[in-house]
Amino acid sequence: MSYELRDHTADVAVEATAPSLSALFAAVADGLTAASCESVPAEGGERFTLREAAESREALLFDYLDRLIYERDVRLVLPADHECRVIEPDSIGPDDEDEPTYIVEAGARGVPLDAVAAREIKAVTYSEMTLERRDDGWYAYVVFDV
Amino acid sequence: MTTREFDGIRLEKLREHVWEIPREGDMNVPARVLASEALLEEIGEDDTLRQLKNATHLPGMVEPALCMPDGHQGYGFPVGGVGAIDARTGCISPGAIGYDINCGVRMVRTSLTYDDVRGREAELVDALFEAIPSGLGGGGVIDGDSDAIEGALSRGVEWAVSEGYGIESDLAHCEDEGRRPDAKPEYVSQKATDRGRNQMGSLGSGNHFLEVQRVTDVFREEVAEAYGLSEGQIVVLIHCGSRGLGHQTCNDYLRRIEREHADLLESLPDKELAAAPAGSELAEEYYGAMGACINFAWVNRQLITHRTREVFGDVFDADPIDDLGMELLYDVAHNIGKKETHEVPVGPDGRPTVAEDAVDRADRELYVHRKGATRAFPAGREEVPEAYRSVGQPVIIPGSMGAGSYVLRGGAESMSVSFGSTAHGAGRLMSRTQAKQEFWGGDVQDDLEREQAIYVKAQSGATVAEEAPGVYKDVDEVVRVSDELGIGDTVARTFPVCNIKG
Repeated sequence: MSYELRDHTADVAVEATAPSLSALFAAVADGLTAASCESVPAEGGERFTLREAAESREALLFDYLDRLIYERDVRLVLPADHECRVIEPDSIGPDDEDEPTYIVEAGARGVPLDAVAAREIKAVTYSEMTLERRDDGWYAYVVFDV
Repeated sequence: MTTREFDGIRLEKLREHVWEIPREGDMNVPARVLASEALLEEIGEDDTLRQLKNATHLPGMVEPALCMPDGHQGYGFPVGGVGAIDARTGCISPGAIGYDINCGVRMVRTSLTYDDVRGREAELVDALFEAIPSGLGGGGVIDGDSDAIEGALSRGVEWAVSEGYGIESDLAHCEDEGRRPDAKPEYVSQKATDRGRNQMGSLGSGNHFLEVQRVTDVFREEVAEAYGLSEGQIVVLIHCGSRGLGHQTCNDYLRRIEREHADLLESLPDKELAAAPAGSELAEEYYGAMGACINFAWVNRQLITHRTREVFGDVFDADPIDDLGMELLYDVAHNIGKKETHEVPVGPDGRPTVAEDAVDRADRELYVHRKGATRAFPAGREEVPEAYRSVGQPVIIPGSMGAGSYVLRGGAESMSVSFGSTAHGAGRLMSRTQAKQEFWGGDVQDDLEREQAIYVKAQSGATVAEEAPGVYKDVDEVVRVSDELGIGDTVARTFPVCNIKG
């Protein structure tokens, strides 16, 4: 899996590719970390876990990234070294809801903010968001408000 | 007729500095760009014009959707965009207001002159940088316990003054007297207040800053006198917003719109334009939550002002109010949505319509969305503070670290040309990624100090590079266009002395 930071006049965009949806989510999150900080210490910080559920893949990616930014502000850590497991409705089976539910179970290392020179990414946006399966795996493009 | 075309989008020049994208296809109304030819060239280089065209699809948009002279590409709705939408039959769009609800600027006067400060810049910038939280995780001026959050959300600056973080005249010199009457804190999520708790009185990072400035030019003596400005005077400019609390509120409502008003969302060309139909429960809740975030942002800037006064008091060994005259000149938002009454063309059914279908003109209540645009009401409007009502509302246009800023007053033409709005800054020209490739923060700081006697202190060198003077448009040109259109008249120009940022 890999990510690149892309130009955007006022903001910053992350473009990511990965062989699986789970790896793609982690790659975009790693891109968010890179957009926040030039250099993350290799060690330090406690790992934490989170879980999000949403009605579509795009909404799930949005909610996951929004949650990471929330955790950053509340825990006062820069989430790094992301791991994700995305569970799609087919693997959950039928549920009682009208809408299918997509779930992400994720973990990150919370690097204390006083240990890094991080800048603030304000929010994830839907602007120009792309999340699609391609011949060679999965692709995402996400713009963040800086 | 003079025309220009950028990526298939054709603009017709209606008159000097006014360019129209004619209505076509699914556009509800035409769009207009207020720009000189030079600024239009820059605006046409990114996706601004497509985003402006997309914004015309919002239901109830009143003619015309606008891009200010400093406009540039945003997300969904362009930065520099003004969208006035019928508050009865249209919609309200969080994305057309922006993530940083009530991002804005305030200017604090002092009785100091540049001569009083010269030679003490390093001491002053160090003291300000030490005292005023900036960057990520730097905390706030106060700890945001439940009472403080509730007070800020519901009462705005009035709460801050009652707690000893300001003086009575701060209320009179703030937009809406620092309190949105229709704020509804109960519609701000727990998640949002969690994020605000650590950030009450903090600059954040990105393009937010606190700058000590000197007044270098006065263009309209009578207005400058009413604003209490004179050449050589020291002022303080504070630029920041509602921090994580506002950002979270925007996203909370974007997601609720996606779930509860999917039909409207599907009719729009960009998901980031997500809007709640006027009159819906969600529109009312968002409007109330946004009002509370507006209050929170005013409190944020008020707390920074309080701490700034303390720093000046310590550095100059004087009382900041009685001796240094540190009174608020004005505080004005540039990311905001408000119900305002404007005269618009109406059709036979009494609803706002495009001019060619209109049978009359009438006052209508509109949701005026300003995203990277500043309200610029002219003299005589009751919304302008009494102290300035005879000369017009102060408009503060921050420039880059090396180019100075402007104080304007709402121009006589603003109500007819731009729904009472003008620009909000210089406007970015270069992406942050490119800026970091072209500039190194340390060099920028050294150059500013050596060549222009501007002292900069930042949490991150990358931020200094991203905010280098070269990444912004020419603020002089932005202000010239505003002045010549009569939407915002130049009153004074200021130049940086010290700058702190995240």
